[in-house]
Amino acid sequence: MAVNKEGAQLIPGVSRLSRSQRYAKRGLFLMKNKVAVPRKASDRKAAARDEKPTDVNVDLVKALTHKKSSLYPADTLRKPKVNHKSNRPAALKETISPGSVLILLAGRFRGKRVVFLKQLESGLLLVTGPYRVNGVPMRRVNQAYVIATSAKVDVSDVTIPENINDSYFSREQEPKLKGTEEEFFGENAVKKAVPSHKAADQKTIDNQIIPKIRSQNMLASYLRSSFSLSKGQAPHLMKF
Amino acid sequence: MVAFKRLAQVGRVVVLNDGLKAGRTAVIVDIIDHNRAIIDGPTTGVHRQEISFNRVTLTDITLKAVPRTIGSNALKRAIIKQGSDAAWAQTAWAKKIQQRSVRANLSDFDRFKIMRLKKQQRFIVQRQMASLKKTKSA
Amino acid sequence: MTQPVRLYCKGRFLGYQRAQRAQTQSSSLIQIEGVNDKKDTSFYLGKRIAYVYRGKREINGTRYRVIWGRISRPHGNSGVVRARFRNNLPPHAMGASVRIMLYPSRI
Repeated sequence: MAVNKEGAQLIPGVSRLSRSQRYAKRGLFLMKNKVAVPRKASDRKAAARDEKPTDVNVDLVKALTHKKSSLYPADTLRKPKVNHKSNRPAALKETISPGSVLILLAGRFRGKRVVFLKQLESGLLLVTGPYRVNGVPMRRVNQAYVIATSAKVDVSDVTIPENINDSYFSREQEPKLKGTEEEFFGENAVKKAVPSHKAADQKTIDNQIIPKIRSQNMLASYLRSSFSLSKGQAPHLMKF
Repeated sequence: MVAFKRLAQVGRVVVLNDGLKAGRTAVIVDIIDHNRAIIDGPTTGVHRQEISFNRVTLTDITLKAVPRTIGSNALKRAIIKQGSDAAWAQTAWAKKIQQRSVRANLSDFDRFKIMRLKKQQRFIVQRQMASLKKTKSA
Repeated sequence: MTQPVRLYCKGRFLGYQRAQRAQTQSSSLIQIEGVNDKKDTSFYLGKRIAYVYRGKREINGTRYRVIWGRISRPHGNSGVVRARFRNNLPPHAMGASVRIMLYPSRI
């Protein structure tokens, strides 16, 4: 596009052509937004069958009779870019390992110290308060929103139920609202209760971890307390 | 009457102020001029080097009968024999440096434990104080 | 709005990156408390930063408003950092305190 050609601009910054004129001139609309579709192998075979040459010297006949078409397709077909990227879950930070005590930095439970259980397939971390100790249920957290401490709970013989994976935490479909006035103002709204199977799962995990926590002096109260920066503390100088 | 207690002299134990080895001790082995000396710390990992007096602080401790430009091995023997490292470790100054590094390296859980223990200590002390006050006023 | 837990560092908005006569308002200079050296700034690079202020009018039930940004790089050798905000900080915010969040965390 010869934008800088002399006369392309009336004065610096003001184009001679209007937007629609430029659009017409560039002719990009001629390029159909089509995607190149590879021809099916079966089509090619069928075509080959139909034009079965009778002559023996096929190549020679082809070379003599073949005429290059003087017509080209007007629209260039766009090839979709091949995406070489793949979604890989983030590698676990070196400072975190199963049983590590983590400090949550954002969200509803910010400042709470929780126990790391394992990394889920999506790369998110599965943590638990445990719920009975500090009120943090099993949840998923991103490791960017977490400080790993050097404190550890022994979770080597804690078994995590198979069904606790990423889809376990996905939101349940909410019943469609009818759009009535009552609903809008939240009348007769039923408070969502924790599903009993989730409460049971929480209990099984808690029951396994809590004895391990109790075995370490002050660990339970450490988990119960929340982290906060106080005056004069600079996190870049602190060890966790 | 001596105006200064700490003299820049051969055998004087010094503390490094800054750099990688800050807080470690060394011994003045030779004095180059008004600004610089050669120091050596064979027992503390401070290699023999020329250093500006700005970068060291003199301590009260001096090694006795150390000749000028004493070799590293001989200096090490003298330090061990005269127990200057032990004497340094006994000072409040050395303890403070030690404490500072310990505090800086505490983990989050350690800080929490200290907070809890201090609380307990405070509780006991204050209860004792209160009871003493009561008996005194009564 | 004092939160029971403080999970941010305090910083101060000093002004914009500038030369003698021109200033670049898209780049704000922030001094973080306790950071006095270029070496120390590396911990804070990329951290989210919030300028919290009070408006006259309530929006969404609150008078508090936030301008979010990120710390981009150190500025000079004395521990000052440059930050970019979604909307440039207003000039009257100079000298005001900003919050440097601890996330995204690398520890």
